[in-house]
Amino acid sequence: MATVLDLHAHSEASEDSRAPVEAYLNWIKMRRAQVPVDGVVLTEHRQWNGNADYRALEDKFGVRVLKAAEVETDYGHVLVFGVTDEMAQRFDFTNIHIPAQELIDEVARMGGIAVPCHPGRPNIGLYEHYVKKPVLENVIAVELLNGGSRKGENERAAELIAKHGYRATGGSDSHLVSLIGLCATRFEADIKDIEALVRELKTGNYEAVDFRPKRKPVPHAIPAEAS
Amino acid sequence: MVDFDPELINRIFETTEPVPVTREKIAKFCAAIGETNPLFTDDEAAKKGPYGGVIAPPSYATTFRNGRHFFQHVPRYGRAGMDAGKDVEIIAPIRPGDTISLSSAVKEIYDKTGRSGTMVFVVVRSTLRNQKNEIVAHIDHRFMNRP
Amino acid sequence: MRFEDVQIGTAIGPEEIFISKDQTRMYARSSGLDAPRFTDDEGAKKEGLPGMILPGNMSLSLLTKLVTDWIGNNDARMIRLGTTYRVPVQPDHTLTLQGFITNTYPDTRQCEIDIWIENEEAERLVTGTATVEFSK
Repeated sequence: MATVLDLHAHSEASEDSRAPVEAYLNWIKMRRAQVPVDGVVLTEHRQWNGNADYRALEDKFGVRVLKAAEVETDYGHVLVFGVTDEMAQRFDFTNIHIPAQELIDEVARMGGIAVPCHPGRPNIGLYEHYVKKPVLENVIAVELLNGGSRKGENERAAELIAKHGYRATGGSDSHLVSLIGLCATRFEADIKDIEALVRELKTGNYEAVDFRPKRKPVPHAIPAEAS
Repeated sequence: MVDFDPELINRIFETTEPVPVTREKIAKFCAAIGETNPLFTDDEAAKKGPYGGVIAPPSYATTFRNGRHFFQHVPRYGRAGMDAGKDVEIIAPIRPGDTISLSSAVKEIYDKTGRSGTMVFVVVRSTLRNQKNEIVAHIDHRFMNRP
Repeated sequence: MRFEDVQIGTAIGPEEIFISKDQTRMYARSSGLDAPRFTDDEGAKKEGLPGMILPGNMSLSLLTKLVTDWIGNNDARMIRLGTTYRVPVQPDHTLTLQGFITNTYPDTRQCEIDIWIENEEAERLVTGTATVEFSK
């Protein structure tokens, strides 16, 4: 049974998000037609809370909640799935210059997977770093569709994926309730827990999916005369 | 991690001199944002409203600022801070005839990376009081510095 | 409109507005903001910006107006608004202001609203949330 998960979402635990987890789940439940996701993965910025327990909310709303982290490295931002206490001790998640190659290799060794996110974004995406630095080894997947991307960023991610043969994920990068689930990842397998997610990201079949509403074009303003 | 003196956090360095709020200032502010709500623009209509007279639009609270003296106490991290966002809590309306003063402290300092590179954020919390010493608003200002 | 009428998922706007350079200067003057980035293209470019930009407070004010317009004459008031300035907002562009009711709290008679400003390319330049409280 296929599973659609928003692999990249920030709750109010991230300093720049204003979205309570409960509000995310309520929104998904109320807007199934527009946001057809089965669950969300909370990827809070630069932190890991192993004690956060969302099972009661999962039961209340019938939406899966998994936990991961978004950390900052010398090659840009990376989503870490399958975080363990050992990982959180090995790496200071508040460090904004974690060595990316070390992160990718150690996370894999400890049973997780590190997925570079918004790779097409200036300064904090893999695409730009690959221009100046060696290509990272052992990268399995990167984020193709990011709901917060500006013009050209997802396209650059696609270019990177085509060039390096990476697998492609999708996530909303939501910091607001109403933006949850706009981009997601559809897995062929049924994913009930983080272990299954890590396994499927490494070896399963999945694709990035886009649920962003089509927007009617807005006429560009005619600039006023030079002043 | 960002280097700063932890004693800095939550320490109030100054309270600004009271700034008068006039009917004219409110009118100019409303004109600048295209505001036509009678509560903020029409003396006669506002008298019959819930506040008994014209009040300033809620966002008018953000026009009050700390003096340069305050920022002498705030660490600098490279190029001067740009406004990265605000959280405004409105406690009471601001009215013509009020005078407003700010007391401010550094609430938080942290770093992160983004599209424009490495950034250091300094969050300043300001409490606005009127002439009766009533709190009218709390504002968290986030200033972004580029080292 | 009473609190009981407020529905999660209701859209506020979208509202398209055009902010000119003159209006930006008017706002800057009315708020005592005299930095060149808010009044002059060349001055803004010297600061590494693409040209004149709206003060962040102006974007906040426009979003506040979106919410207070929605409140209208109803017995409610905005008690909180928060904004994040993601991308500089430039004048002489059509901006779209939009919001969604995302949550309601019967105990406090409050509702939460997502709000944001988009450019012509549907990129979100300023994002935020507002809380509106309805009287009993």
